[in-house]
Amino acid sequence: MTDTPKTAGEGVYLGTDITLALAARDEAPLHSDTTPGKWVKDNLFNSVMNSIITVVLGVAVIFLLTRAAQWVISEEWRIIQVNLRNFMVGQFPRDELWRLWWSAYVLIVGIGGGVGALAHNAEDDAREKGLEYKRSSWLDLLRRFWPVLAFVALMTSFARTWLPYVGVLVALALVVAARTAGWAMPAPVRARAVQFMAVAIVVSTVILAGTSGLVAIVAGLVAYFAVASETSRRFEGSDARSTLLRQLAPIVVGVAVWFVLDAVAVDGFGWEDWGGLHLTLFATVVGISTGMPLGILLAVGRRSELPVIKGFCVLFIEFVRGVPLISLLLFSSFILPLLFPLSVAVPETLTRAMIVITLFSAAYIAEIVRGGLQAVPQGQTEAAQASGMSAAKIQRLIVMPQALRAVIPAMVGQFISLLKDTSLIATIGVAEFFQYSAISNAQPEFLGKEKQIVTYSIVAIGYWAFAYTMSKESRRLEAQLGVGER
Amino acid sequence: MTDTPTVNADATEIHGDGRPVIELTGVDKLFGSFQALTNINMRVGEREVVVVIGPSGSGKSTLIRCINRLEKHDRGTIIVDGITLSNDVRNIQEIRRETGMVFQSFNLFPHLTVLDNITLAPRQVRNVPKGEAEERAMELLERVKIPEQARKYPGQLSGGQQQRVAIARSLAMNPKVILFDEPTSALDPEMIKEVLDTMKSLANEGMTMICVTHEMGFAREVADRVVFMADGQIVEVGTPEHFFESPREERTQLFLSQIL
Ligand SMILES: Nc1ncnc2c1ncn2[C@@H]1O[C@H](COP(=O)(O)OP(=O)(O)O)[C@@H](O)[C@H]1O
Ligand SMILES: [Mg+2]
Repeated sequence: MTDTPKTAGEGVYLGTDITLALAARDEAPLHSDTTPGKWVKDNLFNSVMNSIITVVLGVAVIFLLTRAAQWVISEEWRIIQVNLRNFMVGQFPRDELWRLWWSAYVLIVGIGGGVGALAHNAEDDAREKGLEYKRSSWLDLLRRFWPVLAFVALMTSFARTWLPYVGVLVALALVVAARTAGWAMPAPVRARAVQFMAVAIVVSTVILAGTSGLVAIVAGLVAYFAVASETSRRFEGSDARSTLLRQLAPIVVGVAVWFVLDAVAVDGFGWEDWGGLHLTLFATVVGISTGMPLGILLAVGRRSELPVIKGFCVLFIEFVRGVPLISLLLFSSFILPLLFPLSVAVPETLTRAMIVITLFSAAYIAEIVRGGLQAVPQGQTEAAQASGMSAAKIQRLIVMPQALRAVIPAMVGQFISLLKDTSLIATIGVAEFFQYSAISNAQPEFLGKEKQIVTYSIVAIGYWAFAYTMSKESRRLEAQLGVGER
Repeated sequence: MTDTPTVNADATEIHGDGRPVIELTGVDKLFGSFQALTNINMRVGEREVVVVIGPSGSGKSTLIRCINRLEKHDRGTIIVDGITLSNDVRNIQEIRRETGMVFQSFNLFPHLTVLDNITLAPRQVRNVPKGEAEERAMELLERVKIPEQARKYPGQLSGGQQQRVAIARSLAMNPKVILFDEPTSALDPEMIKEVLDTMKSLANEGMTMICVTHEMGFAREVADRVVFMADGQIVEVGTPEHFFESPREERTQLFLSQIL
């Protein structure tokens, strides 16, 4: 008998939790030397008790599957079919939908190309260091992103026109093409992958939101960093005169981009009518990408020796963490406008909501980062100090990278919470993904038909697909970064 | 006076003819109300190797950590290579650039490769171009006899190899002096020799060094002077021969009888 202590658990495990089973399969493939028959006997029927459990659970699973199948082929899905666009993009004007598709395409080309290039860079890097590097195959990517792909496929299947099918197929084709092209680029081009991705993000935003105001500022900032990284590459180790150029050039270009874009003022689409899954994902990305730098600053500030800075950071973090997100949102929505002087335009509800989400996630991220900072041994700082590095460089190059690595699981946990917490913006009258469940059930056609089970299932699958993918990716990242650390 | 004493309590007398690289005058260090260093007077000349010994808690680490301002001394003056240590950040950094330090627990940066560990400070502090910094790092790795480990991460190296990388890292900034704080105390016995050999060859090449160590063999062979500390004070100073053969102070005798 090849009886392992784990076997009893596995019988239950397979019967009840497909998710976990699939997750486990990613990590530990079945040994190829066991035949299916032997595997079943060893794992499911190896004792009387386990045989009974297997049979009972088997019957239960078959029963549930039959019920589910009956339900799937029933008429229940109309509510999703009718509201497909609502769930996906809310009230985004239907004749402006091209903006969403095109901004998504640009994003895919940018991110896909960048990821391909970065993977190739990582492989070169690993080869140079004589380390193992396992190139991701397309199958690996499928395994990593199947929840999101399955969700997209599911939603597309509700479409009643051919357009979404074409759109999704084009998107998939672009992913493949961009990643392949990014990989194939020559090394000097690949070295600029991050800049390329940043530019794609800006262009994608411009397609969606036009060029004026905040977009122009963000574009200016991106231009600044893109040029700064280029000049620091070019002028590495050179004299004071080129150092001046190295610091001036990014500023000049950044300001120029900001001015020109703001002046050109290409029309975009403001976000009064944003909604659905699009808004949910957007709010999450905003919360993460702006909350992260702010949170890091707060964490560093909290460890500052200057009482004013430390005091401010502690006060901010503890206040935000001590108050439910929903009350912050309500405050921003109903009370904040009253506090604005009449002459100053109050930002739109969604703008305020994004600010609240950013501040909220920053406070939590700050505490996570602080934990990571504390985990970095004092000796690391001392060794860097002893070599004459400035305090800022020690933070940036020695302490922070180690701190952030140590907190990846907690950080991704926070990101996942944020994804789900964005559903609270429904309370200030913004119809995001979750809210469309209630909205669609209140439509005359479906009112009183009790279709909530359908809509909430779809919503749950949607959140789950993204949250689970994030958590899988975080485990992958951890394993990857752990390589050189032991 | 023809017969200069070779064992006394004066650590300001430089062995040989080098100009002083480090000068401590009347240095006191307090941790709260606990006095860790009391009236330290010491000079270290160019190309001199000074070994500091003493019981645990006697202030050896504190002494060398005050020299590069990892600890802030409370009274007295510290001069490194003609620069007087003050509270000015730029002044502190100038001194740190002139002093290398090797720690008991290596303190290599685990997220950077060996090569990056060594090139980091030259590139970030002195703005040396990458290629040049790496060339120099490879020379240093040859010198500590592990050039083949350049692309690995510290976690993939043995303790002895890590400490040799740490020595190479401290050399990368071309320091005037290197401070060693018990560099072999965290090592398995079979690795101590490789690190000591590295330190010996450094000494032979004329590097100015202050070594806190319990390796008496090393002290005997390499030190120009041995400084014995107890309770935050310098108790006795002398050449290794006289120090180990005819220590004058009772506490020195007691300490040496315990560890030899
Ligand atoms: N950061 C500190 N705070 C308070 N006391 C300290 C600190 N560092 C060292 N000490 C004390 O100062 C004395 C000297 O310490 P140290 O220089 O590390 O001794 P040694 O290196 O000779 O073993 C010890 O009694 C130690 O407890
Ligand atoms: Mg010590």
